[in-house]
Amino acid sequence: MDLGLKGKKAIVVGGARGIGYAIAELFAREGCDVAITARNDDSVKDSVANLKKYGTKVVGKGCDVTDGEGYREWMEWADEELDGVDILVPISSASGGLGSLKYWERNFAVDVMGPVRAIDAVIEGMVERGSGSIVLIGSTSALEEMGGPQAYNALKASLITYGKQLALAHGKDGIRVNVVSPGPIEFEGGNWEMMKGAMEKFYNSLIRKHPQGRFGKPEEIARAVGFLASPAASWVNGSHLVVDGGFTNNTHF
Amino acid sequence: MDVKRQQDVKRPAEALPGGTPIEKAPDPDLGHDIIPAERYTSKEFAQLEWDRMWSKVWLLGGRSDDIPEPGDYICTNIGKESVLLVRQKDGSVAGFYNVCLHRGNRLVPEEGIGSVAEQDGVFRCGYHHWAYSSKGKLLHIPDRETFPQGAPPCGRVRPVKADEWGSFVWFSLNPDVEPLMDYLGVIPQHLDPYHMERMAWTRDITVEWDCNWKASVDAFSETYHVQGIHPQLKWYLDDVNVQYDCYDKHNRYLIPFASVSPRVQLPSNMPPLIAGMMEAAGMDPAEYEGPISGVREALQKFKREHGPEQGKDYSDLNDEQLTDDYHYTIFPNVSMNVHADDVMMFRQRPHPTDPNKMLYDIWMFDLVPSDEKWPERPRHQHFKHGDKTIGQVLDQDAFNLPHVQAGMNSEAFPGLWLGEQEVRLRHFHRTLSDYLYGKNGPGEGDI
Repeated sequence: MDLGLKGKKAIVVGGARGIGYAIAELFAREGCDVAITARNDDSVKDSVANLKKYGTKVVGKGCDVTDGEGYREWMEWADEELDGVDILVPISSASGGLGSLKYWERNFAVDVMGPVRAIDAVIEGMVERGSGSIVLIGSTSALEEMGGPQAYNALKASLITYGKQLALAHGKDGIRVNVVSPGPIEFEGGNWEMMKGAMEKFYNSLIRKHPQGRFGKPEEIARAVGFLASPAASWVNGSHLVVDGGFTNNTHF
Repeated sequence: MDVKRQQDVKRPAEALPGGTPIEKAPDPDLGHDIIPAERYTSKEFAQLEWDRMWSKVWLLGGRSDDIPEPGDYICTNIGKESVLLVRQKDGSVAGFYNVCLHRGNRLVPEEGIGSVAEQDGVFRCGYHHWAYSSKGKLLHIPDRETFPQGAPPCGRVRPVKADEWGSFVWFSLNPDVEPLMDYLGVIPQHLDPYHMERMAWTRDITVEWDCNWKASVDAFSETYHVQGIHPQLKWYLDDVNVQYDCYDKHNRYLIPFASVSPRVQLPSNMPPLIAGMMEAAGMDPAEYEGPISGVREALQKFKREHGPEQGKDYSDLNDEQLTDDYHYTIFPNVSMNVHADDVMMFRQRPHPTDPNKMLYDIWMFDLVPSDEKWPERPRHQHFKHGDKTIGQVLDQDAFNLPHVQAGMNSEAFPGLWLGEQEVRLRHFHRTLSDYLYGKNGPGEGDI
């Protein structure tokens, strides 16, 4: 199946490491021009250098998504560099944290306003061109308890709602919006690698519960995101796809 | 080394005046020879250790604040011997063997702390009530006239040398031992800035371990094993950028804490153990906006700034001592993890007869904020390896050691094959050799 991604222009916010990097890599490999950002400029530079091997245009520089002005400028820069945006995957996250009210502020600023501001920056251009595809990244923590009641879980849930309603509002403009909720994903430098070492019992208890006996890999999320982002998914809009290797207990009717 | 990234560890250019020296000591030339396994398994070698080392050196006996009043005493054992370390009226500590001159009974049956203040400072043997002064002088023999040969002519139990430094009581079975401060060498200069006298007991445990006492000293003298048996600590400390310093008899290493090991990639989430370290200092990990690689420095700054209001005086410590682990071995058998807010130390004692067994004493102390009441002293616990947990990290160390000892006894194992990260083990064995064989080292046929 040809995904039809060749020649598309994609922005991945939070694309320097882990799942975000795997998504950016899939786009580059499929022939997209790609712009990525993350907070750490050095790791963005490294990732850009790595992604260039696929021969498409790849640009990136560091940006803090909680800095509204700087973030807006970055989005404008990326839009110019790519000469328009077909695909947006804003995945930046402040990750979990339990106990302090501060986590609510931070997850709101990064996990919610990160995607919201990115969408705000590209949506006008997509409407003008009459096409666009946005994939938001939720989490299985929005569906089932993970690590206690916390901002990350609740605010990730808000993206599922926002994604669906954006889809309803912009279907007429040729813009599709879908949400992918990954289960736990393990990669080098990722939090589950750390948990495996630092909280081995907790990690093992989850692995034992997993029907596949392991956690997911970034590229296993990237392939789902790549499909939803691509023209091959032309009739998929407003959907929420759980990609967790069957980890969650509930039935997704 | 097997690392994923380079890590620059920020260290002060120089120590505070009068503070703990931070400069690297010159690397000693200790060669690359195998350390014979027999040193860990042979009864003859253990006897040599007793004759030429244990009975010659200064040994850690206990805590000064356990014996504040005249007549208070510490009873502690080393090998086949037991000693009494007793607070005197003039504030000094006197020591003597814990043995009655009559029939050899222990004057105090068990190790621990106690007091003879209520008995006018008199130790009375439980068997026939022979009485001794708080310095060990024989005071009274019941039915004295039934001993036609008189009292033992020495008139006292054999004394042991006793002295105090660093809030600890030390003793030596060697009547000709050098003064304690000479023996300790650089140690007081290094550790006085921590003010251990401001720290109170939090744990006092003795565990019987099935290994030679030196296997335990070894286990705490290198960070090479972190990647082996303490994988969780890779998200707590930098086991790669470690400074090793060997001094005369003693040695140390300095490990950056609140750091992620270069052996793994930096995570984006705050590692739980580092978050715990921040919380312990009164710093909210959720409020921290900087990178994970900046926590160590931020924590140093925070403690420097907020220490005084928390009743914690860090003024004699260098910045890095506010986060890092300064780990010392005081020859022969004291391993100390020294931190600004606590000390976790181990005293490693040989079994009286079996080189395959030892006693592992865990002593832990926490800094008591200046305006707080001292906590009640925890009771001493004594158990066998495996009967109870001693905490995740120490359990990991303990789990390994009986297997190390078993392997040491194998015909197929000639001895320890040590790398540069294990330089403190070589230095320790060299000091041991100095005691056993003199400065020329082991001769033909020596172990």
